[in-house]
Amino acid sequence: MFDLLIQYIKSGRIKLDKSKFRNVTATYHDPCNYGRKAEKLFGHGFFDEPRWIMDQCLENWIDLYPAKMHQFCCGGGGGTMTTGYNDERIFYGRKKIAQIEAAGAQMLVVPCHSCHGQFNNIKEKYGMKDLEVKYLWELVADCLIEN
Amino acid sequence: MEQACNVINMDQLAHERFASWQFSQDFCVTCGLCSSSCPASGIDGFDPRKLIRMVSLGLENEVIEARWPWICTMCAKCEYVCPAGVNIPAVVRSIRGLRDREKVPGILHKGLAAALESGNNLSLPKEDFVFILEDVAEEIREEPGFEDFSVPVDKKGANLLTTIHNKLVNTHTEDLKHWWKIFHAAKEDWTIPSDNWEGTNWGLFTGDDESMKIMVSRIVGNMENLNIQNLLWPE
Repeated sequence: MFDLLIQYIKSGRIKLDKSKFRNVTATYHDPCNYGRKAEKLFGHGFFDEPRWIMDQCLENWIDLYPAKMHQFCCGGGGGTMTTGYNDERIFYGRKKIAQIEAAGAQMLVVPCHSCHGQFNNIKEKYGMKDLEVKYLWELVADCLIEN
Repeated sequence: MEQACNVINMDQLAHERFASWQFSQDFCVTCGLCSSSCPASGIDGFDPRKLIRMVSLGLENEVIEARWPWICTMCAKCEYVCPAGVNIPAVVRSIRGLRDREKVPGILHKGLAAALESGNNLSLPKEDFVFILEDVAEEIREEPGFEDFSVPVDKKGANLLTTIHNKLVNTHTEDLKHWWKIFHAAKEDWTIPSDNWEGTNWGLFTGDDESMKIMVSRIVGNMENLNIQNLLWPE
């Protein structure tokens, strides 16, 4: 998925307008499976690829701390969106939300369906109702300009 | 005297119960780094160190019945910080796999069972699935620059096959549009299968390797049947 987007951008098959979100402070969340777990299972965690794509779409984004191998899980992984243990899942997400708040982000970009669902589900509970949660590929689609 | 019920008779422990698991669980030095790193520590009394200790002691019923393995997201932060290399997420997933399938919490096993039977977690019939795709394609065509957009279903020999997350043909159809717009702009030769399009694989979450393999083999089968080399599987 990252490789495909990078291929489209580098080859010029798609063109992106980087100024579209210049007034928005954005950040990026590393999903466990694309990052830490991929590093362990396949010997390659996708950390640099999404950040390069972020750079092509945004003038103003900042990383969370800690990130990459040390990132905190959002709490929505491992099927926890569907177990019914919702209070536990929402509590789990408190550390991640605190990071996003500390970064002053108005937009959160994620490349994972579970993370996307979890953040939209818990953001209001933690006073971040207006946080815009965006798929990485949604960000790319939003920035498309005609070739 | 009620407390006496919770006392474990050390002589009767089945230490060997999980000895066949190759997750280094018996090398745990009880340092507690896992517990300190885990965002779920403290929930319902959970901490990963305790769970690993219970596995080492062979407390089978206790770990299978516990809610802990289902509250943990298997994010692997604990494993990353573990100085003994204990593969804690694999222990958790294996415990999940030992639960009676009818007692798997929430809709996880029900969704998987539906997928095994129908090809997708929603048991969405093929004609309804294709109708939804066409409907969303119609919406995209109304946007400037996308007037000639179409959604290629079951296109043989396409360059790229994509799976679909069931929520995108249920409550979040708007989110189908992002990739489709990118494909259109990139002039990609892509397609969606009308059968076995489900991108989620809940056997991963329920510790059910056999079901997981079936779901994966169906995606591979789609690639073979349609003669497609590349797969986009964002789920």
